[in-house]
Amino acid sequence: MLSISTMRRTGGLVDGRTARAALLACVFLSAFSPVRLFAQGDLDRLALRFASMTAVTGLEQAMVDSLRALFPGSTRDHAGNVTLTLGQGSPKRLFTCPLDEVGYVVGNILPDGFLLLRRVGGGGAGRTASPLFDQQLEGHRVTVFGARGAVPGVVAVKSTHLTRGRGAPGTPDPVFTVDNAYVDLGASSAAEVQGLGIAVLAPVSLAKRPQLYGERLLAAPVAGRRAACAALAAAVQAKPKVKGTVVVAFTVQSLYTSNAGLASVKALLGPFDDIKTAALPARYADTAVETVALADADRLVREILQWMEGR
Amino acid sequence: MADGRTVRRAVGDVLLAVCLLSAGPPDRLSAQDSTRIAEAQAVLAPLVESYGVSGAEGPVREAAKRLLPSWAKSETDTAGNLWVRVGQGSPVVVVIAHLDEIGFRVTGIRDDGTLELETRGGFISSLFEAKPALVHTDQGDIAGVFLPRDSGFTRHTPPPLRVDVGAGSRAKAMARGVSPGQTVTMPKQYVRLSGTRATGRSFDDRVGATAQLIALRRLDRAALKHQVIFIWSVREEIGLEGAAAAAAALGTTPRRVHAIDTFVSADSPIELPNFAVAPIGRGAVARALDNSSITPPAYVDSLVQVARARGVALQVGTTNGGNDGSEFTPYGVVDVPIGWPLRYSHSPAEVIDLKDVVSLADMIRAVAETW
Repeated sequence: MLSISTMRRTGGLVDGRTARAALLACVFLSAFSPVRLFAQGDLDRLALRFASMTAVTGLEQAMVDSLRALFPGSTRDHAGNVTLTLGQGSPKRLFTCPLDEVGYVVGNILPDGFLLLRRVGGGGAGRTASPLFDQQLEGHRVTVFGARGAVPGVVAVKSTHLTRGRGAPGTPDPVFTVDNAYVDLGASSAAEVQGLGIAVLAPVSLAKRPQLYGERLLAAPVAGRRAACAALAAAVQAKPKVKGTVVVAFTVQSLYTSNAGLASVKALLGPFDDIKTAALPARYADTAVETVALADADRLVREILQWMEGR
Repeated sequence: MADGRTVRRAVGDVLLAVCLLSAGPPDRLSAQDSTRIAEAQAVLAPLVESYGVSGAEGPVREAAKRLLPSWAKSETDTAGNLWVRVGQGSPVVVVIAHLDEIGFRVTGIRDDGTLELETRGGFISSLFEAKPALVHTDQGDIAGVFLPRDSGFTRHTPPPLRVDVGAGSRAKAMARGVSPGQTVTMPKQYVRLSGTRATGRSFDDRVGATAQLIALRRLDRAALKHQVIFIWSVREEIGLEGAAAAAAALGTTPRRVHAIDTFVSADSPIELPNFAVAPIGRGAVARALDNSSITPPAYVDSLVQVARARGVALQVGTTNGGNDGSEFTPYGVVDVPIGWPLRYSHSPAEVIDLKDVVSLADMIRAVAETW
């Protein structure tokens, strides 16, 4: 059972589909883009890897750990940002990429083993989530990131058969909200849930299933942000000859009440002569199939390199 | 299990209080060894991860054929149903589970390359909105996405769904291999949950198909006193069409038919508890009353006796939906459906307990060998 063993083996915030998704990526890329540069392949793999990760705003630790492993010599500040400094001297400039996402935490564990959720981000000053954001959970698999690793669950939905005859014509058709989200881990008691390493405040996200389609289109939750961060990472991996000093920061908590992560970087490592943020245009934003063109990410890598090298 | 809307002879919206009966001690299931659970999973997982929207069940049928015991001689009828006959003599008994799953079919390709769809079977369309999509073609699956709505953000129900395969034009979509008539689903995966529970899409009715395969593997053929016909049917979700063909072919020959299909369970905090409350993990369910059939009480009693005699956990209840067996009743065949409890039916995240798969397989075997 490959699917099961990969799920069980996977730790951190990747939900266990990375290997399979990478295989799919190879299949689709070979089908639709037979002529590729090696660097493109690296970028695609990075984008797919980042899109598979979960970093609920304020609870980004696991993705931060992955980034630190990717960039030896990088540091993690007290806020949780990952920073690395390239070059020396002036000018001193900053290139950032926010890595967090609107998500959920366990808000309550019921005696019968179901979990209730609280949304984190998306409702404050940082960014307002789509009215349908929570509805994406309904009837779908989620991943709960407990103390012992990723645990699969599903969000309950009414069985279509049992709705039959129970709604009169004209019955209100309200959207699904997080207040209706009961997470089913297959557990029968609160004790069983705790035995899985899950407690209140454990991060929860829709199970990440990045999908490559068309001509290097990447669909996934927060695909725009993750592909932009992948472009920044790819630029760093290209070992640019930077002009002066460039601080690269993968920042946290951009979607909560204030952009605390970026503020922390500025306070600790600034002042900076110039600040840029990696961003990419995305279709179907804030959905589970937010789509970016990886060709746009290619261009972003080139633009970042030019900026870093002062060209 | 067919959504009741697609069943032609629905008996109406009868709401009866559920009568749950445990024919075996509840702790019997927990004593089942892990070998049985592993066996159930080994058969179920490949069936769940095969795709087979109603009318396009080929991949599931081939997967089922590969899982048959080596001695079984199968045949496929013109409707697409898979048959295996075991034993000889009367009265003939039929067990039937369906191979198909709910999904979509491509009805047209717009100028911008997006695909127009029609539904196959009954389900909540919002569950597919803004999710990854797969277009199933003879040359393999083509990835895409179900488009999110661009208006109506205060309603749960989206407008009719379309799929974007990233083509950009009709010509490019067709060059990529897309054409009207192909079926569309979303990627799916069998995933274990806590304990003996699991989630995936199309457990309805891959669990029934699995239980029939396991029952065949474990069947004591020397014990059979009459012929038992195992059928894996097609096009159940769009109106029991495969079963209708099988029933017409057999006519008045069978005495009983056992539809092996989902018992849609209200075992969830968001369902009303006035019926259909058979909990998962407590065994198979005598589906004594649904929207397509009512089992004569004496036959329910007999089924319970069979379960007791073999020590198999069996619940008794009533739920919604239709079943393949109801197509046989016009020929004088008694329909005694046996289900298995399912949470969140026809959703991408259905939940089962593997203990119920084992119980269901044991019930089918017991019925074949002793009734």
